[in-house]
Amino acid sequence: MTTNAAFDYSGRVEDPLRDDLRLAHQQAWERIAQPGTWWSGRERVAIAAESRAAEYCVFCRKRREALSPFGETGNHDDVSADVLPLAAIDAIHRLVTDASRLTETWVKELAEEGVPDTHYVELLSVVVSIRSIDIFHRAMGISPEPLPEPVAGEPSNKRPVAAASGVGWVPMLPSRLRAGDEADLWRGPAPNVIRAMSLVPDAVRWLKELSAAHYLSMENMPDFTRGRGPLSRAQTELVAGRVSAINECFY
Amino acid sequence: MLRASVETEGLETDYRGIADAASAESSTVPGAGALIGLVEASFSSNPEDGVAARLRLREELGAEALVDTAAVIGNFERMVRIADGTGIPLDAPVNVATESVRRELGIDGYSTAENTGSVRRWQRWLGRALEPVARYGLRRLGRRARERSESLIDS
Repeated sequence: MTTNAAFDYSGRVEDPLRDDLRLAHQQAWERIAQPGTWWSGRERVAIAAESRAAEYCVFCRKRREALSPFGETGNHDDVSADVLPLAAIDAIHRLVTDASRLTETWVKELAEEGVPDTHYVELLSVVVSIRSIDIFHRAMGISPEPLPEPVAGEPSNKRPVAAASGVGWVPMLPSRLRAGDEADLWRGPAPNVIRAMSLVPDAVRWLKELSAAHYLSMENMPDFTRGRGPLSRAQTELVAGRVSAINECFY
Repeated sequence: MLRASVETEGLETDYRGIADAASAESSTVPGAGALIGLVEASFSSNPEDGVAARLRLREELGAEALVDTAAVIGNFERMVRIADGTGIPLDAPVNVATESVRRELGIDGYSTAENTGSVRRWQRWLGRALEPVARYGLRRLGRRARERSESLIDS
């Protein structure tokens, strides 16, 4: 399928959807299909497919119930072993099904298994994007959108020189950005959650696009008089708080 | 964020519905039961839960609010994984400002709490000293926004 035809919600949903939502979802599909910074389009679409498969993985369910997420051995119900390294498949499954029990040691070991920090951050950006759109669809009672066809081409392999370790498990750009290639990412001091994926600057650009459609633009976030559409900010944050609690997210 | 927003709206702080979904029914946040109902249904394996939750939210808050609630659910399903997947700590001011709320809601017991250091004594004192100022500022901001929107409606 072409991404232009993606997310045609007419006839699929009872309630009218905002146009900016449809556009943001189409953009996300285009981004998934294209070569990224470290993964090809084919690999990125495979990451998206694996994210969906993870939800129904029997081994992941068993591991989720185990006292330690690192003691269990077994095979994932994977769909992309011909495209992605096994360590990447395991990372995707953990991010989808057991993200609150990940550790810094595990991220470091991933690098030794062929998924360095750069690739991991880009993989994370694909996983979280498709996951958020799929959950939106589920909340609205809409079937998941078929995945896009990959676009041929090579990843850019561009690592931002200013990225440094010190906060979190992966290198990030500093809270205050100087003029340069990444100066468009944020103005002034940025919270950690915005900086988190800045080792792959396009992942932050993508995050901003989706967040503006799903929640609030970065500029409007600090303004507590603004909610999402007809929802007050208190209503908006109540929903946010409950989703975080279900996921056992401290942040 | 919830705390700051209720201060801005001039409401009493009410965390019911966050740690325990059932308690949302008694929350003072308008439509809390319907909002949390859609969150729960979105993570339920029973599709019928979603049908009932959407119906209730549409009836109580309208079709537009239903779409926006679904979008916010999608947004935070993304943000929690970014935070958990990169091990980021809470930003220092948030760490200080939310210390008591986290304890109250049991959030400190989550395994990802290990990524954030504990609040230092001087930070706690500073936080307490600044809290009334922050509360006043947020309430004033909210009052001004409400006056602005009322004057727009009048004109």
